[in-house]
Amino acid sequence: MMAPFYKYGLFGDEVSLILAALIGVGFGFFLEQAGFGSSKKLVAQFYLTDMAVFKVMFSAIVTAMLGLFYLSWAGLLDFSLVYVSPTFFWPDLVGGLVLGAGFIVGGFCPGTSVVGTATGRLDGLAFMGGVFGGIFVYGELYPWLADFANSTAMGRVTIDSWLGVSKGLVVFAVVVLAVLGFWGASAVERMMARREVEAGT
Amino acid sequence: MNRADPRNWGIDQKLAFLALVLGFLALLGSPSPGGAVTINTRELADIVESEVDHVTVEELADWIIQGRSDYRLLDVRDPKSYAAYHIPTAESVELRNLSDYPLYRNEKIVLYSGGGIHSAQAWFLLRAEGFAGSYILLGGLNAWKEDILFPELPADATPDEVASFARRRTVSEFFGGKPRTGTGGTAGAAQPSEVAMPKVAPPSPVVAPHRHAHHHKEGC
Repeated sequence: MMAPFYKYGLFGDEVSLILAALIGVGFGFFLEQAGFGSSKKLVAQFYLTDMAVFKVMFSAIVTAMLGLFYLSWAGLLDFSLVYVSPTFFWPDLVGGLVLGAGFIVGGFCPGTSVVGTATGRLDGLAFMGGVFGGIFVYGELYPWLADFANSTAMGRVTIDSWLGVSKGLVVFAVVVLAVLGFWGASAVERMMARREVEAGT
Repeated sequence: MNRADPRNWGIDQKLAFLALVLGFLALLGSPSPGGAVTINTRELADIVESEVDHVTVEELADWIIQGRSDYRLLDVRDPKSYAAYHIPTAESVELRNLSDYPLYRNEKIVLYSGGGIHSAQAWFLLRAEGFAGSYILLGGLNAWKEDILFPELPADATPDEVASFARRRTVSEFFGGKPRTGTGGTAGAAQPSEVAMPKVAPPSPVVAPHRHAHHHKEGC
């Protein structure tokens, strides 16, 4: 049996939607468990007082990466069928900045705003309203934005193909980067905590 | 407490260590299998036998007219022939480059060559590599010329044939072809090989749906 199961026709659209709902609930559950239902916790990332967002996201990246790598090594997964969002260089960069600005201002990213709403936070609900309003406005403006949104298309890009190195090397480098990042993040947290104490807050 | 002693490590350190070990082992191997594949000859033979591996030229013409973009059309003839004429939306790939050509295993891939031998060979290569959605254009480019570009209405056509010829005429003109009608039969209706092969123009601005406009809507 080979993954991805859906693309190998193991189940159809209906089952895939049920599975998507289950995975979505699981995703929300773990976001909530990490404390990401609270905008205070999320925004603390940008003030460097709490690096939980960085740690959780980087752990997820490393876990998924190692899983994909070893499953395809074992012949249980066909990576060429795993969806990789096509890269549009400048549009992606601008979109990332807009999302980041919204993250700081609003205190949520789209996924965590749903988690916040589900746990009864009104700021989460307001943020979700903004998300859907933004989607609507973007949709209406799309005819004017289409040229830019489709520019600098690079297709399916992975780091190994872009740098021309082996997948294994990228996996190793990302793991080392993550471990160093965790160590650095904890050091930054300790430093910021000390500064708060010194400032007498 | 001696933190250098692994027995005193917290869960964070243990997980970080595990990730580093797995990351290091990843350096040793590559998950891509290379050119070696295993094929189920029985299964392939069944597919060939049941003839589900074909796309007819009429089906393909419909897809192109509708501007469908859910298939890839590969021309496996040499680039020179491709430059002289190819079916609209086709991409040129030579057999020897097929394995490295960017294709996904969940795509519907239609192969054609002049007659059908090369496309059938390409079909076997792709199937063996696990491209389950590979199809052969039945009759190849010859059938495309015969049935789509230069369809012929026999002189002694039945009313049904005449009726369906109107549609074929439209299709033919769409692709820049020239329908032929029988000349009455005294000197014998013109043979396809005589009339049918005027210079085939490269696909004019017919439809050619843009590959770039074909974005997958998937993921978050």
